[in-house]
Amino acid sequence: MFPRKPTNLIVAALYFCIVLTSVGPVAVAQKKTAPVEATPPPLSEEFKFGGVDLEVLQQADLLDVRLERDGLVLADESANAYLRRIGQSLIPRGLKIERVSWRFRALRDPQPNAFALPNGSIYVTTGLMTLIDNESQLAAIIAHELTHVMRRHTYVHNRSNRKKFLTMNVMSAIGAYAPGGLVGAVITVVTTVAPFIMIATIYGYSRDLEREADLKGIDMMISAEYPPEEMVNVMKLLDKDFEGENIRLFYNDHPSLDERIKYLSSYLGARADRVTPQMELNRERKLYFGKVESVMRHDLQLAINAGRARSAVYLAQRLVDFHDDSENLFWLAESYRALGPRAPQLAEKELTNSAKKDAAKKSLKRTAEEEERELLATPAGKENWQRHQQLAEQMYRRALSAETPTPVAHRGLGMLYEKLGRGSDAAAEYEKYLEQSPAAIDRERIQRRIEALKEKLK
Amino acid sequence: MSARSIVLKMKAIMFALVVVLAVLGSHQVQAQFLHPKIKSKETTIRRVVVLPAKVNVVRDSMKGPEGMAAESDELSARVETMVAEVLSKQKHVTTLPATAASAEGDAQQKYNVADFQNKFDDLLPKIMKKRSDVKKGRFSMGDEVLNLNLEKGADAVVFIRGDGKKLTSGKTAFKLLVGGTPAYLRLQIGIVDARNGEVLLYTDPIFPGDPTTAVDRLRKALEKGFKKLPEVKG
Repeated sequence: MFPRKPTNLIVAALYFCIVLTSVGPVAVAQKKTAPVEATPPPLSEEFKFGGVDLEVLQQADLLDVRLERDGLVLADESANAYLRRIGQSLIPRGLKIERVSWRFRALRDPQPNAFALPNGSIYVTTGLMTLIDNESQLAAIIAHELTHVMRRHTYVHNRSNRKKFLTMNVMSAIGAYAPGGLVGAVITVVTTVAPFIMIATIYGYSRDLEREADLKGIDMMISAEYPPEEMVNVMKLLDKDFEGENIRLFYNDHPSLDERIKYLSSYLGARADRVTPQMELNRERKLYFGKVESVMRHDLQLAINAGRARSAVYLAQRLVDFHDDSENLFWLAESYRALGPRAPQLAEKELTNSAKKDAAKKSLKRTAEEEERELLATPAGKENWQRHQQLAEQMYRRALSAETPTPVAHRGLGMLYEKLGRGSDAAAEYEKYLEQSPAAIDRERIQRRIEALKEKLK
Repeated sequence: MSARSIVLKMKAIMFALVVVLAVLGSHQVQAQFLHPKIKSKETTIRRVVVLPAKVNVVRDSMKGPEGMAAESDELSARVETMVAEVLSKQKHVTTLPATAASAEGDAQQKYNVADFQNKFDDLLPKIMKKRSDVKKGRFSMGDEVLNLNLEKGADAVVFIRGDGKKLTSGKTAFKLLVGGTPAYLRLQIGIVDARNGEVLLYTDPIFPGDPTTAVDRLRKALEKGFKKLPEVKG
């Protein structure tokens, strides 16, 4: 007998675990009321490596290789250098940690996330870099992750988890709701190489360890002249759920965002009073957007590919507000085209936990094309599609009339017209695209589309 | 219906279930689903490009699953080679090199391959939900497949995924006492039209045993997995 459809087994295991862990919430509730204390020193000096820890370290090294090999690391040297500069400014000077070599890299994943491996590799997803407002918020995330490494949280968490039967079931539960495609690629890679690391790095450590990373992160931010209140602001940004994907599993042991915002605000207190000119500079939105504009564009492509059209529209609009050049306008147009018949925002009833779970299950049953067809059969879907295709066309036109128009706007317009059944207009736009981009990577694809359209028009 | 006949019926169903489970537990199982174009011979698969396989195995111990990254990489390479061999020997399908599709150093090309592999990962759960719909031609990855810029003449792209479990001796003993899933390897193979992205074939061979060492079983499972694929003639 093989687990061809393991869902039922998982559900059974989960119920079993709920019974086993039913005493947990009492302890958690008691912890919530604990007063905010000063943060511990940056290093876990008393830490001694054991065989189990060395195994985890080896898995972390393998993970680095796997993420790179699978094309998940962004090969943008300037973006990675930017992350490195911020990271290095946060690490206390002269700090040397056994078996840690710092590396800061951007991951090609549109889902906002960041994680640290115990070997010192810090990854920030392009989705997170695109969502945040300024360098200080990026520093807040990196400072948090640095603390996980400095305080050896992965090892501590791993040692503790190995004693728990619960862990393997947690992984099954996560697997049941883990997204597919690009968004799930990082999760898949981490799970494969190091299942224990996956729980900690992607889904968070225990409440105590997360809290320690948050508070220590604030101290590190102040030392590096980043306004510490941006740690709270970034938490608020992470609370946004455009796609209805933040599903709370029973295991969510790490503190909720609300709780984190509360204790961080309380810890900040007078610490946020001191404001230096450098802190003001680090809060600048334009400066930050200027530095990561190429990452943001790359992320928009990933978001659209992953079917995260709502996020894409929101993020592309921010990018256009910052700099309305041809390429950014093109991405906004692409986002509207991808949004199609979907509503630009999820309704409140779609954001409940059970509605999100239902949506996740439903998405397994139908393809994106089927979802679109279903929506287009409804009056609301038709109305949305009409509005979004008009906005998309408008943005493509603006992109083409900008100072240095990007040829890809012709391709986008062609695809829009093709969907609208305007065959000859579509073929004309495709031809303009190929004329202006003779070496385009998708030349064959567009050429075939032109031929098919012409055949149809005969 | 009397209570006795209900009990008898239940017993018969239980017996049938036990037999089915016993058979499944000791033999390779595979299902194959072909696109109507393949069945009607409108499309013939002569030349394929096999994209890097992603087969992952874990070691299941009493303390939970542990990653086996190096073994998974080795197994992925072995499965990839074996798929090409089986297709060539049994079906006379030529495997073209995937060099153009995975050119090192060209970041954009590397991203294209990675994103297309992820697109298959996104489609896979939908296929698995209703595998028989492959026979209706319901699944497609779209004409983005052309962005892979494969070798000229390639008819199809082969995607290979797999997951397996190897048991530690402690876990094996535990399984004997209280039951549980045995060691196994399950593959999920999709063959996609290189021109329009339609899923032409889906097969998911599965067999019991240590996935890292069962080479012969793997070959047999693959041979059975591609049994329905028409042979290339001439």
